Amino acid sequence: MIPGRTRRGFLRDVAASIAVAAGAGGAFACAPRARDGRAEVTLWFSYGGTNRQVLLSLVKRFNEEQGRVRVLPTYQGDYFEGLAKLRTALAAKAGPTLTHVVGEVVPYLAEAAVLEHLDRFEGASTLDLVPELAQARGFVGGDLRPLVALPFNRSTPIVYYDARLFADLGLAPPSTWDELRTTAGRLTVRGAGGEVSRWGFECPIDWWFWVALVGQAGGKLLDGDGPPLLGGDAGVRALEFWQTLIHTDRTMKPPPGRDYNAWQATNTDFLSRRVPMIWTSTAFLRYLEQNASFQVAAAPLPIQVRASVPTGGTMFVMPKGSPAELQVAGFAFLRWMMLPKQANEWATRTGYMPVSSAGRRELETSGYYAAHPNDHVAVAQLQHAEPWPWSPELFRVQREAVQPRLEEAVLTRRDARATLEEARRAAVDP
Amino acid sequence: MKPRGRLHPYLMLAPTGALLAVFFLYPLALAAYRSLFSWDLLTPPRYVGLANYDALLRSGELGGAIVRTLVYAGVVVIASMAIGLALAVTLNRPGRVYAFVRGAVFSAYVVSWVAVALLWMWILDADAGLLSTGLRALGLPTTAWLGDPRTALIALAGVSVWKITGYAMVVFLAGLQDIPRSLHEAAALDGAGPWRRFVHVTWPLLRPSAAFVGTTSLILSFQAFDVVRVMTQGGPVRSTTIFVYAIYEQVFMNLRVGRASALTVVFFTLLLALTGVQLWAFRLAAKGTPGEARRGPR
Repeated sequence: MIPGRTRRGFLRDVAASIAVAAGAGGAFACAPRARDGRAEVTLWFSYGGTNRQVLLSLVKRFNEEQGRVRVLPTYQGDYFEGLAKLRTALAAKAGPTLTHVVGEVVPYLAEAAVLEHLDRFEGASTLDLVPELAQARGFVGGDLRPLVALPFNRSTPIVYYDARLFADLGLAPPSTWDELRTTAGRLTVRGAGGEVSRWGFECPIDWWFWVALVGQAGGKLLDGDGPPLLGGDAGVRALEFWQTLIHTDRTMKPPPGRDYNAWQATNTDFLSRRVPMIWTSTAFLRYLEQNASFQVAAAPLPIQVRASVPTGGTMFVMPKGSPAELQVAGFAFLRWMMLPKQANEWATRTGYMPVSSAGRRELETSGYYAAHPNDHVAVAQLQHAEPWPWSPELFRVQREAVQPRLEEAVLTRRDARATLEEARRAAVDP
Repeated sequence: MKPRGRLHPYLMLAPTGALLAVFFLYPLALAAYRSLFSWDLLTPPRYVGLANYDALLRSGELGGAIVRTLVYAGVVVIASMAIGLALAVTLNRPGRVYAFVRGAVFSAYVVSWVAVALLWMWILDADAGLLSTGLRALGLPTTAWLGDPRTALIALAGVSVWKITGYAMVVFLAGLQDIPRSLHEAAALDGAGPWRRFVHVTWPLLRPSAAFVGTTSLILSFQAFDVVRVMTQGGPVRSTTIFVYAIYEQVFMNLRVGRASALTVVFFTLLLALTGVQLWAFRLAAKGTPGEARRGPR
């Protein structure tokens, strides 16, 4: 306390100072700027491991290459944790300038009117993107709607297998469901008591892979604005296929955990050679190649009645609410990321697909894919990519109606038809 | 002590009251209000009356969450108290070795839940985990402890027991050291063996400690979230979706703020009722202790 001043006077002065500071903050509210005068663009991201390192190195390069914008990346947990934080932040009007979200949630956010239209920015019409990975053909009718999302880390599920073991056993990657059953059976090793010491196949019991199976069995998830089909008979066949592999053949290991814990468990089992054939995202290509003690090979998913794969990964979005200056700065960063150089660097260092058409052509003509055939599997498979329905309910159908029931049906061998009937009812629950 | 002014006690209580009002009562009232709406945080809320409660009841989610939480809490409270008491009685001796073991047991309590969960995920791994490997080496059957809906909840409860038993032990140790040695000596002179001394001297005097441990363990187990989030994410087949995780799942995964709020209201009511029962038991135990009788009316 300063001698000669009363405590009441001191507290009054402190309160007045706070009020003045708060008033000044409100009066001069504008786009946040770094000390060097650059516009500060916040970017919330959800990548871990190698993908995170690659993103951070790209952001660093962007910040070094120009002097007007500084992108500040902040890790926000996995995709679903990041989405939870984004929704809360949007409700509190404290969202970031940029973030990225899973494709299934884009229609929901767009219909909730919380995303900026990106086609109003200069240069948006000249972006040279792979249509199947972009909004245009990544969604049914995506090209007829205002542009709200740009692709970045985009993927499809692929088969990974232990090339040496397959060669030793005279096996080829399965191209049909029947071949998958046979191959998984050949790969499974059982002890005298019947206990399994090596499983033939593993795949996370996850919506994304079930959607792949539904498409391969000839089904559709949603049909226009009508009630969700969830694949109809094809959905049932997809679920029954998993049940057969796990309970009848006992050749497939359902990984423990949910969401990305199950994905990580699948990778771990593959790397430790407990399972020599898995389905997972092309996103893990570089990670698996770099960490396996054996030769990792990739193959397209098998078919039942037709070839079909969903696209996955995330898309960049610009939540509403940032000052106009930051939005322009944020879009400048997005444009830079869509350029062939950055798109290809991201793809070749991670395993995701290049989203720039010119970049993809460059990789093809330069002989990159000939030298890295695993990288080409997902790109070639893209011709069979199924666009997602543009439905604001899609994300809730996934998370609330289908995902928890898949696990239940597969682990407890619940009747597949009854399970999906219940999921359809849950999907229309208001 | 008599307050100088009539309002002074209220003024002294005001800061705490304001904190409680802002951070507990207002959010609770808001949750009760929000439970009457269908809302996803982003689009305008829609009034639905009691439909959220009805949907939670009809889907079995509410009943399932209550049963799972009670089973989890029951195992955690009973096992941690029993093991904590046994350890306290065993380790209530002077000497460096006993002090070291007491410290080792308690150390689990100060480790973060996430670290504990990660450690136990490794131990409980169905293929390469310490537990399964050990059981296989002994020729005993094993299972996917966290992957089997029949064992996952009990496995999680076991992890929680391992973590909080040290806390129960320390509280019981404090209670044991508060018991006058003369009572044990008198009972021994009367011919009481160790078991009868425990039943008739130690346990009655430990009842207040037991009530305290029971109440705090119950609250702790009802608030369990980290261990579920890290180890099972509520699965397999919702077998570990206990109350707090169910609330989290509704609001952040299913985009249903109204249903999460309805679950919160039910959760609060349940906790209030259980705390009431605990307090009643605590008072009953306090009345029944020899110390209370010895002291007489004050």
